[in-house]
Amino acid sequence: MSSTPAIASDRLTKAYGKKQVVNDLTFRVNAGEVYALVGPNGAGKTTAIRLVTGLAFPTSGSVSILGEDPHKRPAVRRKLGAVVEAPAAFYPYLTGRANLKLHAALAGGVKDARVEEVLALMELKHAADRKVGVYSLGMRQRLGVAAAVLTHPEVLILDEPASGMDPLSLHLVHGVLRKAAEEGTAVLLSTHHLDEVVAYCTRVAILEEGALIDEVNLYDRRDRYRLRPTSVAEAVRLLEGQPFIRHVAARGAEVVFIPRAASDIAEVTRHLGEGGVGVLEMQRDVFDLRGYYRERVHNERVRRTGTGTNGGLPRFPGETG
Amino acid sequence: MNVLLRMEFAKLWRLSSVRFGLLVLVVFPLLWAYAPGIFDLYGVFLVSAYQVPALGLLSSMQFLLPLLTAITAAELLGVEIANGTLPTVLLRPVTRPNWLAAKLVVAAAYPFILLTVFLVASLLAGAQFGFGQFVGGTGLGAGGLLGTGSLSAGAALGELVRGFSLAAWALVPIAMLAVLLTVAFMNAAGGALATLSVLIVMQLFVVFPGLEPFLLTTQLQTYSSPTADLTWAVALIALYSALFAAVAVVLFERKDF
Repeated sequence: MSSTPAIASDRLTKAYGKKQVVNDLTFRVNAGEVYALVGPNGAGKTTAIRLVTGLAFPTSGSVSILGEDPHKRPAVRRKLGAVVEAPAAFYPYLTGRANLKLHAALAGGVKDARVEEVLALMELKHAADRKVGVYSLGMRQRLGVAAAVLTHPEVLILDEPASGMDPLSLHLVHGVLRKAAEEGTAVLLSTHHLDEVVAYCTRVAILEEGALIDEVNLYDRRDRYRLRPTSVAEAVRLLEGQPFIRHVAARGAEVVFIPRAASDIAEVTRHLGEGGVGVLEMQRDVFDLRGYYRERVHNERVRRTGTGTNGGLPRFPGETG
Repeated sequence: MNVLLRMEFAKLWRLSSVRFGLLVLVVFPLLWAYAPGIFDLYGVFLVSAYQVPALGLLSSMQFLLPLLTAITAAELLGVEIANGTLPTVLLRPVTRPNWLAAKLVVAAAYPFILLTVFLVASLLAGAQFGFGQFVGGTGLGAGGLLGTGSLSAGAALGELVRGFSLAAWALVPIAMLAVLLTVAFMNAAGGALATLSVLIVMQLFVVFPGLEPFLLTTQLQTYSSPTADLTWAVALIALYSALFAAVAVVLFERKDF
């Protein structure tokens, strides 16, 4: 695999007059990753996506897709699938199939069979001969994803792909994006749906006022477990350095660890038992991104304004921690 | 480029301004062919179908045809902005200059399509007067509608084709200007309105006699000068068109979407 990141944003800045919409944004997305941009409305997610795709020009900084500047080398877009409008924009007087065929013609080298394949993939076969003007919001979004994956792109960039989708459509789109990532596609998306981010994104960047305030590696957070042992210090000592453990640390009366594989959980309890440490309770350590996000955005506002939101940002329903 | 050109020509027929414009140009000649008060107003008797097109052209070249041209040229780009399809296309391996060039070619072709439909519709509207040899003029040749004697059908048609071609050519820079101003404003209505405003202001520049030969609005009358040397007018129209098109491409290349 190439060491060149699929998407690289280096100190990307975009200003309209005195207003900086994107501020010194640096991040990398590697092949096989699903990278999410999250943040409040006006945080600069959409502008960042437009800068990365080459639709807008940065005031300073640079961006590359598969090592190429999309402004100077538009041909790199042959390897890119993107939806930057929400809902995805199509010619309303053309049918879904005709719109995809138009995309295929513009991309070049896409066979009609592939158009039928993506229509089936996004469960749009039944509506393929209807004009897009009568499509529902969710259908348009699904057609957008179909157009994005039409060319088997190496890089997928989607702005709010979940906007206006019902839960089943959302599940379908997540499946397609997850599968694309498993096959080596780099996926960059912006979203407000933090639950979907936790479900299948690899890393998440939190944006506030155009700046990246935090980047969280969800891969580690998602595979984390916590257990309550009879002796915390002894449990940590026993697990440290074991081949089936990637990370272990004490957290109050609990031990948090990341196994090499989910199947190694049994090995952890067996190993602790053999070392004389009982396990009173063990469960997945579900990462509360919503709470984390709320806290980070609040702290950033306090840091920036000196006061922040009065009383802190309200908690999300069901937020843990 | 072929794909883009085919795509843009296909889109042209979908534009509401094109359908409306063509409908207007089909109906408009009927007013002249069947106008009961034409003699009282202009002192003209129509004796041939070949005289109807000139009446239509003479009365529409000042405002109606520039208006229809400007609106459609602006809508060619404006509809992409309104539908949100501008980024959709630009995310494909399509360069901005290529795409705009395809739109400019279609915009430049549109006046010829418009004038061809207008000519055919005018001739058909005048069918009651017959298509044979007649005594008089087409209105676009020597002697105006009175002519200089007998005119054969072939000669009459030749004069009309020449006049309508020149009129279409004179409308090309207006189409280019409308595309340029739509790129500038990123809005079809703004682009069309600004184009018409420029033309109206330019018409006022005749108060500076030295400027008059260089004005685009002066060239709009070229079609009605059958004996004049057309080299200057044709070249100036080409220069205006090329200049507006080039600025449009440069501006489009630098736009944020």
